[in-house]
Amino acid sequence: MSNLFIFKSELWVPRYTGIKVYSIKDFIESLKVIDKFSIFYHMYINIFNYHNLPTFYANSISYWFYKNGRILLAEKLSIIDPLDYYDLEDLRNVIVQTLEENYDETWDRKEENPFYFIEAEREIIECGEVANTLEEFIEGVKKSSINSLFYHLVTSRIENKTLINDYSAWLFNVGEAKKAEKISKLDLYTMNLYEIKKKIINILEGE
Amino acid sequence: MLEQYIPFVGEETIHELFLISKKLKGLRVLHVNSTYKGGGVAEILHRLVPLMNELEIKTDWKVFKGDEKFFTFTKKLHNLLHIACGHCITSEEIVYYLKTTYENLKEIDTENYDIVFIHDPQPMGLIIKKQPGQKWIWRCHVDTSTPDPQAWDFLENFLNAYDACIFHMPEFVYEKIEIPVYTIRPSIDPLHPKNIELPEEEIQATLTKFGLDPEKPLILQVSRFDRLKDPFGVLEAFKLVKKKYDCQLVLVGSFASDDPEGESVYKELMNLTPDEKDVFVLNLPPDSHREINAFQRGATVVVQKSLKEGFGLVVSEAMWKSKPVVGSNVGGIKRQIVHGVTGYLVNSIEGAAVRIKQLLANKYFREEMGFHAKERVKHRFLIIRHLRDYLILMYKVLNQKNLA
Repeated sequence: MSNLFIFKSELWVPRYTGIKVYSIKDFIESLKVIDKFSIFYHMYINIFNYHNLPTFYANSISYWFYKNGRILLAEKLSIIDPLDYYDLEDLRNVIVQTLEENYDETWDRKEENPFYFIEAEREIIECGEVANTLEEFIEGVKKSSINSLFYHLVTSRIENKTLINDYSAWLFNVGEAKKAEKISKLDLYTMNLYEIKKKIINILEGE
Repeated sequence: MLEQYIPFVGEETIHELFLISKKLKGLRVLHVNSTYKGGGVAEILHRLVPLMNELEIKTDWKVFKGDEKFFTFTKKLHNLLHIACGHCITSEEIVYYLKTTYENLKEIDTENYDIVFIHDPQPMGLIIKKQPGQKWIWRCHVDTSTPDPQAWDFLENFLNAYDACIFHMPEFVYEKIEIPVYTIRPSIDPLHPKNIELPEEEIQATLTKFGLDPEKPLILQVSRFDRLKDPFGVLEAFKLVKKKYDCQLVLVGSFASDDPEGESVYKELMNLTPDEKDVFVLNLPPDSHREINAFQRGATVVVQKSLKEGFGLVVSEAMWKSKPVVGSNVGGIKRQIVHGVTGYLVNSIEGAAVRIKQLLANKYFREEMGFHAKERVKHRFLIIRHLRDYLILMYKVLNQKNLA
């Protein structure tokens, strides 16, 4: 099996789906049918937009509930870790189920702030760096943008339908199991990607 | 020129621009708007067009010409798209719009381009010259969420021939649009004189030149003298703050000689503050970029208390200077300020006063929020991100052609 690691990056442009909802009920109904890349945008990518800020909630859906005073639902949704899923349909089901279990229909009202469903139009690019050895891999990570980190740590798992991130998968493959496990255990949504990059480089350069 | 942005966004980000632009190499792109000078659109194109050329995407910028009668109509159209106000569009106006469009078609060659970006409603009619295989994108800088139906119908005649449109944010999008809608935030340029770093001595000298005390906390609002920017509300908030805090207020903006409303708001403000030695109402020439920059850098708290706002990029300009901003919960302001993190969103004069006091009282808050404010602009509101969004959008729109 080849030890080649190809560094890639992910860029995107937001596209508005035209779906705007004012109530929790409508939110749940729309969530059931919306394109899965809208879920991807709100649960994965949108937090990237705020990744460097100490915001209250880890995804924009929770944040919407919080802004409208629906603190319970915001909390219930914020604990859902998108990194526990590689299938966006599974993630959709969990969000819908969480809302349906915790939402009381008597709460239904027109919320002050609407929710706009956005979807990500993504483009994956190769960065021109490859690695065959740990040394080359470390150099590649050092040269990587935070978009590249985001791709390899977060979204490539959806592409590859696996819970393991690209970095760890490659490290396991070259016999660096400890480093691979340490990177797997990083809690990505509690730090910014610059901090994560530093931590990864420390792990890679460590004994 | 692109390498000049490396200190702000990092080498990797610039490298990615080159990577994505490889997919667009040799593409011919045209931007059309209605002025070379003045306004945010022209300002951004002045920088964006050379940057696209540097990425080897052959990009031109042409200006749609019209006379006073034409621009009086498009101003009316702009207002009607913003909000229904009962004025009708007359047949004569439509005929004149089309006549001007045809005159411009002779001057503006749109045929030799793969992608044409049309900015705002004025040059929108040029779409009638669209050639097979071309992609036309309408970039709207106006809030059209609640348009006058007749104005929208007029626009829609042209809009549906476009391949995509772009708005600053979903809140500005009219829900009946049928073509693909992208949301791309506007941006500021860190290399523009109003945003570049300034020596501390220049900041101090500017404050002193206008009679301010550089040692005293400074509350600032930068805006046109326009009632919708609510300078009177800022003054009221300042009076509430002033009861406990020794501070000064600067309301700085400009009005042109042909702006009677601006002059009247300015005079009204002056009349309200004749004995207020700590209130400075300053009308500066429109090109006073370094002075505005110095005021923003010298400010303790920046305010943007607009009653209605388009995007309000002046908020990002202050945030870029590590200033916490107290802004109204309207328009694009609420998309820039993250409440409690990069500043505060407020809904009233009292709310503004409370938040200004909190920030004056807490240096730690100011520094923390100022830090996060700059970080937010660095990632979300700089021209490099704007350029990157355009590159991906172009690639995606061209790709739609291939799929078709």
